[in-house]
Amino acid sequence: MALAVFNLPDLGEGLADAEIAAWHVAVDEEVARDQPLVSVATAKAVVDIPSPYAGKIVKLGGAVGDIVETGRLLVEFETADGSAAGPAPESADKGTVVGAVAVGNDVVEETAISVGKRGAGVKATPAVRALARRANVDVSHVTPSGKDGTITAADVRRVAGILNELGPMESLRGVRRVMAQTMALAHADVVPVTLVEDADIEAWSEFDVTIRLVRAIVAGCRTEPALNAWYDGHAIGRRVLKKIDLGVALDTEDGLFVPVLRDVGNRAPDDLRQGLEAMRRAVEARDIPPEELRGQTITLSNFGMLGGRYANPVVVPPQVAILGAGRARAEPVIVNGEVAARHRLPLSLTFDHRAVTGGEATRFLMAAIEDLQKPE
Amino acid sequence: MSVVAKFEIHHRRYLDERGEPVGELPEFTCKPETVIELYRGMVLTRAFDEKAVALQRTGKLGTYASTLGQEAAAVGLGRAMQEHDVLLPTYRECGVQLMRGVRMLELFLYWGGDERGMDFAVPRRDFPVSIVVASHIVHAVGVAFAMQYRNQARAAVPVFGDGATSKGDFYEALNAAGVWKLPVVFMGINNGWAISVPRTAQTACETLAQKAIAAGIHGEQVDGNDAIAVYQVCREALERAYRGEGATLIEALTYRLGDHTTADDATRYRAADDVEHYRSVEPLARLKAYLINAGAWSDDEDRELHEQIRAEVENAAHAYLDSAPPTPQVMFDYLYESLPPVYADQRSSVGQDDDADG
Amino acid sequence: MAELTLLEAVNAALAHELAADEDVVLLGEDIGVNGGVFRATAGLQERFGAKRVLDTPLAESLIAGMAIGMAAEGLKPVAEIQFMGFIYSTMDQIINNASRLRNRSRGRLTCPMVLRAPFGGGIHAPEHHSESTESMFAHIPGIRVVIPSSPMRAYGLLLASIRDPDPVVFLEPKRIYRLVKQEVPDTGDAATLDVCFTLREGGDVTLVSWGAMLHDALQAADQAAALGISVEVVDVATLKPLDMQTILDSVTKTGRCVIVHEAARTAGFGAEIAANLAEHGLLSLFAPVERVTGYDTIMPLYRLENHYMPGTGQIVRALKRAVEYE
Repeated sequence: MALAVFNLPDLGEGLADAEIAAWHVAVDEEVARDQPLVSVATAKAVVDIPSPYAGKIVKLGGAVGDIVETGRLLVEFETADGSAAGPAPESADKGTVVGAVAVGNDVVEETAISVGKRGAGVKATPAVRALARRANVDVSHVTPSGKDGTITAADVRRVAGILNELGPMESLRGVRRVMAQTMALAHADVVPVTLVEDADIEAWSEFDVTIRLVRAIVAGCRTEPALNAWYDGHAIGRRVLKKIDLGVALDTEDGLFVPVLRDVGNRAPDDLRQGLEAMRRAVEARDIPPEELRGQTITLSNFGMLGGRYANPVVVPPQVAILGAGRARAEPVIVNGEVAARHRLPLSLTFDHRAVTGGEATRFLMAAIEDLQKPE
Repeated sequence: MSVVAKFEIHHRRYLDERGEPVGELPEFTCKPETVIELYRGMVLTRAFDEKAVALQRTGKLGTYASTLGQEAAAVGLGRAMQEHDVLLPTYRECGVQLMRGVRMLELFLYWGGDERGMDFAVPRRDFPVSIVVASHIVHAVGVAFAMQYRNQARAAVPVFGDGATSKGDFYEALNAAGVWKLPVVFMGINNGWAISVPRTAQTACETLAQKAIAAGIHGEQVDGNDAIAVYQVCREALERAYRGEGATLIEALTYRLGDHTTADDATRYRAADDVEHYRSVEPLARLKAYLINAGAWSDDEDRELHEQIRAEVENAAHAYLDSAPPTPQVMFDYLYESLPPVYADQRSSVGQDDDADG
Repeated sequence: MAELTLLEAVNAALAHELAADEDVVLLGEDIGVNGGVFRATAGLQERFGAKRVLDTPLAESLIAGMAIGMAAEGLKPVAEIQFMGFIYSTMDQIINNASRLRNRSRGRLTCPMVLRAPFGGGIHAPEHHSESTESMFAHIPGIRVVIPSSPMRAYGLLLASIRDPDPVVFLEPKRIYRLVKQEVPDTGDAATLDVCFTLREGGDVTLVSWGAMLHDALQAADQAAALGISVEVVDVATLKPLDMQTILDSVTKTGRCVIVHEAARTAGFGAEIAANLAEHGLLSLFAPVERVTGYDTIMPLYRLENHYMPGTGQIVRALKRAVEYE
């Protein structure tokens, strides 16, 4: 606490005194610096005098109408600290030379956002993702070492280092590229269920697997047309198709081709055989026109030609079903209560459960098997 | 009222128009080697310059700015500078550049429209030709700052004409060099003309050298057609800079005997007799006269020198004319240290999509 | 650990680099004794001396031109132009010289300089102190244009800019100089130049911005989320060279794009992004590209400033339009 005295200042041109015209403050009042204190009348004018200090008014130097001489007491203050003494303190650094820069106290955090589809739980901050982009590293493949499963910059650099050592990535082109894109699309949309069963082919008189499978599929479609359809996931609608255009998966040096055998439901076996042969030759000669690779309504994957038993082959939209056939083999089976060696063909039917029921799929498969089990 | 500042500007010359000494010559002239080097440099500069104009007139070179008449100012400076100094030239400094080791082939390439010409084999730190008037003078301040920052006894030497002294960048640079006492030698070559604007219409100052006073630095004028004087004044200014005593503004008085460039026609704005008068006091003749009078040169040697120089110039011109143009992709190769991938497509499409001849 | 404002982050980056690299020199008006009018260089002259933190005469062309000379001689100058309104005096040096030195000399001389300037409106300043003409610089080949939007990115991007071997125009959004704080550890790690930063993931619409408007963009994204719109927010950060791929990948996912900048509409940098989207992303777009920008007027004095500056309401309306477009 300090007592400060404010005397009537020289109001200009050597005026000797002034008359108090009006007080704007009272004793015991708290005033701020520059707050209007008093109006005084000089020989020339009425002058408003602002408060030089902040503090409490202790004493007024006169009443309205009194004459105060220049240099005599005008107001006495009680100030909080020694700030009354001496000139006004420096104004706080506003940190700008024009305008006003808003000062906030919020603390922001740049959150690590989830990376990769289906919320894998792996996170990376924007800065780390940007670094990964620059370094050509797929963030969703980086093992995080930061807390809470966050990928750090060091993680990205580590992977970039490894990849650099491995040499440049081979960019997939042509059929392989198409396969990558198609399968990703299929995976994203389709809800696959695979049914497996075996067909007893012991009775076959001749071993022409592909043509028998084609016929079996036709039999299946006659029983359950729902598996020969195109499904639209956006519109949630389907077209059940009368014509069966069968996609036949072919494995070649270049990759997977699925050319289309048209209208298999209405063609004789020899015609089908010729058609298949022509297709194979065209694919091998890399001569097959793009139209012949489109428009499958249902697909056959006879992977058994290479080997294998069961699989869950991929349904490619807008189709809703694909039949896979494994390698035919002799197996011990119970026939009429006794163990017998029979040739059997393993089958795997994948269907899109958005469009096809389990019942439909099963009936399709059983009908196909029934046809396959005929001697010819 | 009291006088708080006055100034004096000194003018230096050692040889008169006929090559006769006026007063005591500087010490370096005691041995004729340096003076002969100056003379050789001037002969080379003029021969190169003539060839460049000829190439332009025959459609083999782009627009070219001749230095005819200004050889002493250029060569005197060029010879005075040391290897470790940095030159910041405009488009009329081939004389300085040649003295410092830039090859004629490089200059022909540049004026022929090929940036490779500015990738000097030597000197590696000299700046390329600056076209924007006076903008390079502030660069010199930065260069000199770096020299001072590293405590090196080197100088930055921006060269410019009378027109440049009207530009803001000129004043800003002088001022900064003064306030920081930077090792800059501001070489102003006053050839009397800024394209068609005569020196008298450029400024109310009696001399350009006195603009130094406004910046608080040393300023003096020299007869720019007296190679000995130019060399001496430049050496002194450079030494001053090396010793950390600050910057100098030199005004070298000379005359632009040619057009502003090969695209200009000076007869539109200059009287023929004026030009003739200045041709009679041109710098090569007077230095040759001095050398011959001093017994250090002969007409035979002169003939031999001219033949030698002519052969050198011819060789350089042939090398230039035989050079293959750069591949267009190169437009992208010096934008950044490495080209950002976003521009890779544009770079590969060069030469395929445009209409330029292959 | 240090919670810094954007301004303090700039200071921290400058301090770090001055300590780490003897060739770094700061120059500008009032940056030494006064620490810069925004205090961006506060304390640096005390620490590093008047030869490394230079108070220059009042001469912008000198500041930029001198930086070119210094850079050519191998120093790493970081020049400050006090406000973007004064940067126009440096255009001759930046456009005619800094951007071209490497090219002009076929790589013999290079120009590793940084030109920093506070930019943008919203602080109720007098005329010329609220400029946002970044697209003029983005037009110039041979330079980089970098604009941070957060304290962390200001620190990292400024370090990257100082270390970059080519000229960088580094524009600091002064409206958010002190608006928020962020944890910025003084690791000396540079951020990545030439890439956009995806600040928030979303599926319905891509919101692209830079500088101070990102602050409003994020708020708008929050408000949009409450309306059921999932917004992906992208901070361009480096305007030149532009990482269009990040924006295209985002728009391929969302099919809609809203670009926000406070700069005037015509030939603002949003136009470049929109053109690129039309060129390379047309088949992904479900709605026209929206631009929320300042008007094609001169920035008004402060009484009308709030009318000029785009606000979150405008951004949200644009997001809605994009999402609802049939």
